[in-house]
This record gives sequence, structure tokens and C-alpha cells, in this order.
Amino acid sequence: MTIRSKQIIIALLCAAFIVSLIFVQWMEVARKQEEAGVGIRHVSIPVSSATCVECHQKSSPGIIDHWKGSTHSVKGVGCVECHQAEKGDADAFDHYGALIAVVVTPRDCGRCHKTETAEFMASHHARAGNILASLDNFLAETVEGSRVPFNPHSPTPGHEVSKVNGMAFVDTGCKQCHGSKIALEATDGSLITFDQLKPGPDGKPTDKESLAKIKKASNGRPLLHSSSWPNTGIGRLNLDGSLGSCSACHSRHDFSPRRARQPENCGKCHLGPDHPQKEIYEESKHGVAFRDLKDHMNLDAENWVLGVDYSQAPTCASCHMSGNKNNGGKITHDPGERISWTNRPPVSLVMDTDSKGEVVKETDPAKRGELIKSTWQEKRAQMKNVCLNCHAENYVDGFYKQYDDFVITYNEKFAKPGQAIMKALYDQKLLTPKPAEFDDEIEWTWYLLWHHEGRRARHGASMMAPDYAHWHGTFEVAERFYQEFIPQARELAHKAEEAGQEAEAKAVRTVIDGILDRPEHQWFEQAKPKPIPKPAAASTPAASAAGG
Amino acid sequence: MGRIVAWLQERVPVSAEQLAELTNEPVPNHLKKWWFCLGGTPAYLFVVQIVTGILLALYYQPSPETAYESIRYITNEATFGWFLRSLHKWAATLMIAAVILHQMRVYFTAAYRRPRELNWMIGMCLLMATLLTGFTGYSLVFEQLSYWGATVAANISDAVPLVGRFAKQMLLGGDEYNARTLSRFYILHAAVLPTTIVLLVVCHIAQVRMHGVTEFPDPQEPPDRPRYFNFFPDHMLSELIIGLILMIVLCALATVLPATMGPKADPLTTPEVIKPEWFFYVSFRWLKLFSLSFAVISSGFIVGAMFVWPWIDRFLRWITGIEDISVYIGIVATFLLIGLTVWEAAVSH
Repeated sequence: MTIRSKQIIIALLCAAFIVSLIFVQWMEVARKQEEAGVGIRHVSIPVSSATCVECHQKSSPGIIDHWKGSTHSVKGVGCVECHQAEKGDADAFDHYGALIAVVVTPRDCGRCHKTETAEFMASHHARAGNILASLDNFLAETVEGSRVPFNPHSPTPGHEVSKVNGMAFVDTGCKQCHGSKIALEATDGSLITFDQLKPGPDGKPTDKESLAKIKKASNGRPLLHSSSWPNTGIGRLNLDGSLGSCSACHSRHDFSPRRARQPENCGKCHLGPDHPQKEIYEESKHGVAFRDLKDHMNLDAENWVLGVDYSQAPTCASCHMSGNKNNGGKITHDPGERISWTNRPPVSLVMDTDSKGEVVKETDPAKRGELIKSTWQEKRAQMKNVCLNCHAENYVDGFYKQYDDFVITYNEKFAKPGQAIMKALYDQKLLTPKPAEFDDEIEWTWYLLWHHEGRRARHGASMMAPDYAHWHGTFEVAERFYQEFIPQARELAHKAEEAGQEAEAKAVRTVIDGILDRPEHQWFEQAKPKPIPKPAAASTPAASAAGG
Repeated sequence: MGRIVAWLQERVPVSAEQLAELTNEPVPNHLKKWWFCLGGTPAYLFVVQIVTGILLALYYQPSPETAYESIRYITNEATFGWFLRSLHKWAATLMIAAVILHQMRVYFTAAYRRPRELNWMIGMCLLMATLLTGFTGYSLVFEQLSYWGATVAANISDAVPLVGRFAKQMLLGGDEYNARTLSRFYILHAAVLPTTIVLLVVCHIAQVRMHGVTEFPDPQEPPDRPRYFNFFPDHMLSELIIGLILMIVLCALATVLPATMGPKADPLTTPEVIKPEWFFYVSFRWLKLFSLSFAVISSGFIVGAMFVWPWIDRFLRWITGIEDISVYIGIVATFLLIGLTVWEAAVSH
């Protein structure tokens, strides 16, 4: 080889070496950007949204920055694509030349995300707003607040108050998780929801009279009532008739899958004394592993499939929604698809569901069989598919045996007996008839027993958190049952007897004594001295002598 | 310009002609063939190791509490840390491979024969120093495998008769792996062994210059053609081409297969499978085949025989009358080397 040839080769190799160093530099920059959360993004602002971005960049820059961090911004999905409205929509208004609506509903998201929306609309999440006529809501509306506004009883210095909104606790407490009926203000002072608008299958209102009454701001924007907006509760009842809110989990305006995959996201609502799923998860080994290994969980992966993209720990989403290797990576937006017990009611029920996704309560086997469209065994099989990514089959079966035994023991020892005693008290009219709840002490006791302590115990068992299952759970259930519930029920019977309602008192006592005579309750009173029966009031000295 | 040259020549009284004569040693024609140019490769990779090693040493902290975390910092956080660590790892691998290949070339061409016996022994010392540098460097990571690899190596050295216990204590700074062990490995890896290698390389090259490169004349070459060519620029450019190719290969390996980290060393949990670095697979498999004391003594005997091979070769030729007896032995030894390495790599235990 000539020296000239060698020189040319060296020049080419030098160039290749420099290119390789540039490649290394590019990798390093990309790594740093990824670490800093500012990866190279090619934001594409669609022409239809250019004005929105320009204006809102000045007025509310956070919204635009969040959107720029979203996949939407990279794929050219702008403001108008989601907020667009059609002529005739109840909440549509012209905003600088674009017909838009403020509230983006699942029907809007479903224009692109059809499967996800359909799954979500079929879920219990989407129907979470139905709580707004339940026992829980009676507490917030009536017991804690007031269903009607009332006058202030003394001045609030520095803040003039003419009327007290008694529903404030509902608006801020219940609705922000459960959702509410989105309401527009009407010109006559009433509220217009989908109840009045009667939207058709296309989401357009069919009640023209209600449509005409909608009160609008000077710029033509229909006025959303403050009792219903802002609201990202998951069971929101929207003006177009659609149920739910996608932003409850995915957040506005960055629609982060990464965030939705993390337990903190669910913890906005699934926490606290009555359903501490977030705290239970944190106590479990799953939660412990997640905290330790979060950095290795590939949370930004496109599909985030358990067993493919990560295996370090499961989050709420991993078990209840995300895809896994065993199910071919199939994601569901209906978290109920993999749940085999519902631990929400006083007595847990298996998740046999009907065509509407409601739990079947029918007890007649033939009728029950006709109603069931999806069995609890099918749901459990789907959850086991998740478990089997990290556990052996006998391990998973063992866990479910422990869980089933726990729930059934709770049902049989405390929940069904509690229900029977409460029923006896109502049947004998020793309590104020329904719907007046919470005006008797025992109603509070029973509510705390099943709604707080009973749920904590069952949820603790369902997600492998021993302390919640026992000390925060069944221990407190037992204490409430034996030390408060039974004594209060007996006290009510005693008072009835004193008031001359001997038959009613006897009926309630029969139920209580029947329960406490069962083997699992005998420990409670069997060692106590039996009360000495009172002598009959009409007995004669001779009879007493005969008896003695 | 002329004044600057004159100023320099006054203080460094070496003329350009003398310098040219010094560097322009005539190089035999066989070195125009590329496979004879690999002698410079280990030296080239050694320079890469020195440069990347100095940069890594800026962050590395040699104690059981900090070693693993400092390497995690280098790998995951420090700017270009992953690249430098990967370059260091791959250059070490290639350097060991290049030293072994160079030594095999010298062996099979019998370039160790009189009067170059001493240079062969220097080369053997360089091989040992390189392997030791690789071993101590791997141990510095303080991950499970490197920790237990070091522990096993120390226990093996314990089995060496007479000096074994002393060698183990010197290596570990006590009877067991302890808080002082890592700093010993670090000093050996970053100071003692590199200095030794530099000194040995100087001796090695001095020997080459004194004796000249062994010549392998091509019988088909015309007799009137010059038998030598100039070191500079012709051979220098060939070495430069090899160096550049090596750098590109290193960059590619470092980016495509970057250095990773196993779990942190846990002295209380013995891993199910303990493996040394690949270049010790042959010794590891040898140890598994025989009892510890036999394997250690036989290994020592083999290494000792390699050191004095020029005289053994002479003796074998004398008693057998076969000129290429070493080549046949070398072929068997190479198959054994490759076979044992592959065997160890292929099985988990």
C-alpha cells in the first residue's frame, strides 16, 4: 500500500471517529434531557389551534406548557380538536371564531379513543356519580351540611355573607371524586343539567325549552354553575349525556400516561378511613417494592406491559387496568374487569354482573343464572393472569383462598348479623323509619362498623396489607360490634320494654340472643353469670313457696 | 522561526537528523503485512486505559460504603461517565485479548529464541501484570460477582504452598475481605501495576531496539529488493490506521454494549453462580476439574514453564530433533485454552 493510500484511509477513519464521538455526544445530551424530563419533543401546533396557543401562552401559560409536554402536542392534536363543539350543543359558544365548549367529555375523547371510551363508560368508575343520592351523600348534604341555603347567624368580619350554601361540603368533598351533574345557570335562576336537556343518542339536547333558558355571559359563553364546575370527578354526568371524566385519571392538559400508571394518581380518591386503598397498597410488599424500584419501572414506555416493559413491582394500574404478558398486553379502562369481590356494601358480594355491569343480587339460582353476563370466576381469572407474571399458580391460589376465607368470615360473623339486628330494629319500629338516617346512635355505630372498619379490613385482605386487615380492620370491627353495637341494640330493646313495647323488645332480643348463641360468638357471654330471672309479678306467697 | 529553532537546539541539543535516525529504524518488509502490526495494539489500548482511568478516578471512591455508589454515579449521572466507563471496560477486554494474541504470534513464529529469551520473559511479566490489572479493576466495582470473585481468588491463593497465606493477607489486608481490601486493589490497579507495565514496556521496546525485530524474509521476494523500509512515516501510518480503527470499534462497543452494573456486593449472601472475568475462565474451569491443591500447583507449573519456554523449546528440539516441536505443543495448548474457556462460558456451574 502506498503512503498516499494510507493517508487517505487515515483521513476517512478520522472522519468516522469524529462521527462516532458526535454520536456519543448526541446520546449523552438525549440522556440528560430525558433525566431532566425535557426530552427532545417536536411540538406540532395545528393551524386551527395556533391562535389559542398564542393567546393562552400569555393568559394561562401553564395550560400551554402542560399541553406541550403531552403526546397530543407531538401528534398535532391541539386545543380545538378536544374542545370543539357543534352547533346545537348546550354549552357551545363562539370563542374568537371557533365554536368550542369548556367541558371536554368522554364523548369528545371518544372521537379518537373509541375503545378506551367504551370500556370506561361500561365501568363502575363512570357510574360513580350515582352516589349522589346515597347514604354517603345524605351525610354530606343533610347531616354535615344543609340541603337548603340558610341565613348566617352572625356576621363574618371582612366577608359579607348573605346566604350560607349548605351544599358546600358536597361540592368540595363528594363531587370532586364522584363527579356531579354538570349544571348550567338558567335565566329563571334554576339549574339546567342533562335531566332537563334530555340529550339524544348524538349528545344533542332535545328539550328546546331548556336550551332557550340557558343564561350566557356577555361574550356568549353559557354559564356553568359553580356547584358543578370545576369538576373532574370520575363519575361526572355531562350535558351531552356521557358519563365520567377522562381527566380524572389522565389530568388536563398533558394527559400523562406516566402519571396514570402511578398509585398516587388513584390516591386522590382511594384513600382515607373508609377505603384506604392507597395506604393499604403502600403497606403491602407491592407498594414497598414500587417505592424502592420506581426508577426502574420504565413508566414512560409506550405500552407499559407487565412482564415485558417492567417486572419490578405492580401499581394499581398494573393489576386493575394495564396489559400484561399473559393477556397479550391487553389494557382495559374498566377496573372492575379483574375484581372478583365487591367490598363496597355492608356484606361483600361476588362480582357476578349483569348486562349493565351491575352486581347481580338475585338469590334464586335459576333467575340468577339468567341475569349473569360476566361471572366473578372470569374476572378472577383475568386478575390471576396479572399475578402469574410474578407468582407461581399455587401461590396465587393460596392467596385467593386466604382472601375468600377472610371475606366470608367477616360476612358471616359481623356483617350479616349486623344487618339482621338493624332490620329487626327497623321492623319493630324501635328506630326512626327510613329515610331519616343517622338520627339514632346505633345507625352511626353500624355505619362505622361496615363502611369504615369493615371495608378497611376487607380491602386490607384484598391487597395483602396485614395491619389494615387486622388492627385497622377486624379488630376495630369486633370492638365496635361487641362493645357498642350489641349494647346499643340491647339498650333500645330495654327502653322499648320500659315503654310497654314488650313484644317488639322480645323480637329484637330473640335476634340478638340467637346471634350471640352461635358458636363463633359464644365466647362473649358464656362465661358471664346468667341474670337471675325476675319473679312473676302476679305470684302468690304459696306459689313462691312452691317455687322455692 | 529560525531563531526559535536555534533557541530550542541550544537547550535540547538534538539535531533533526539525529532524531530522524533515532526514530527511523529500518523495519523488515514482513511488517508491511497487517497481522505483524498488532504488537503496538496493547500499548495503544494501554494509553486509552490510562486516560479513561484518570478520568474515572476523579469520581471513584475506594471503600465498601462508597465504591458501588460512586460507580453508579459515574454510570448514571456524571456527564459522559457511562461512555468513559464503557470505554475503560472494553479497552481492558481488547487489551488482554491483544496481549494474548501478540504473545501467540511471538510463540508460533518462535521469535523468543536466542538472543531474545529475556524479552520473552519480559513479555510474560507484561501478560501477568495485565491480567492482574484486569482482576483488580473488576474487583473495584464492588458488585456481587466482583466481590465474590475476589474472595474466591484470595482463597485460591491461600492454597499456594509456602507463600499462599502471605499472598492472601497481602492482597486482602487481612484474613478476610475487609474495609481495607478495596483500597489495596485500587492502589494496585491505579498505581503499582500501571507503573510496572510502563517500566516493562520500556524494557520490552529497548530489547526490540537492541536486537531488532525478528525477520521473516519472504522467499519469493526478489533478492535485489531492499529488505527494509522506514519506520516513519510508512509503518507509523499503518499503526495510526490500526489505532483509529480501534477507537471506532471501542466507541461502537461502548455505545452498543455499555458497561452495566450487577447488584451491590453483599458479604452475607453468596450468589448461586460465581464467575470471574472471561480471561480467567480457563483457570476457573481448570480449578473445577481437579482438586484445589493439584490445580493450583499445576497452574503454577504451567506458568513457570511458559516463563522459561525458550530453554524448554531448545531442550525439546535437542532431544526430539523436531524443529517445530513447540508449534505442535502450541496448537494443543491453544485448543485447550479455547476449549476450557468456552466450556466455562457455556455452563452455569
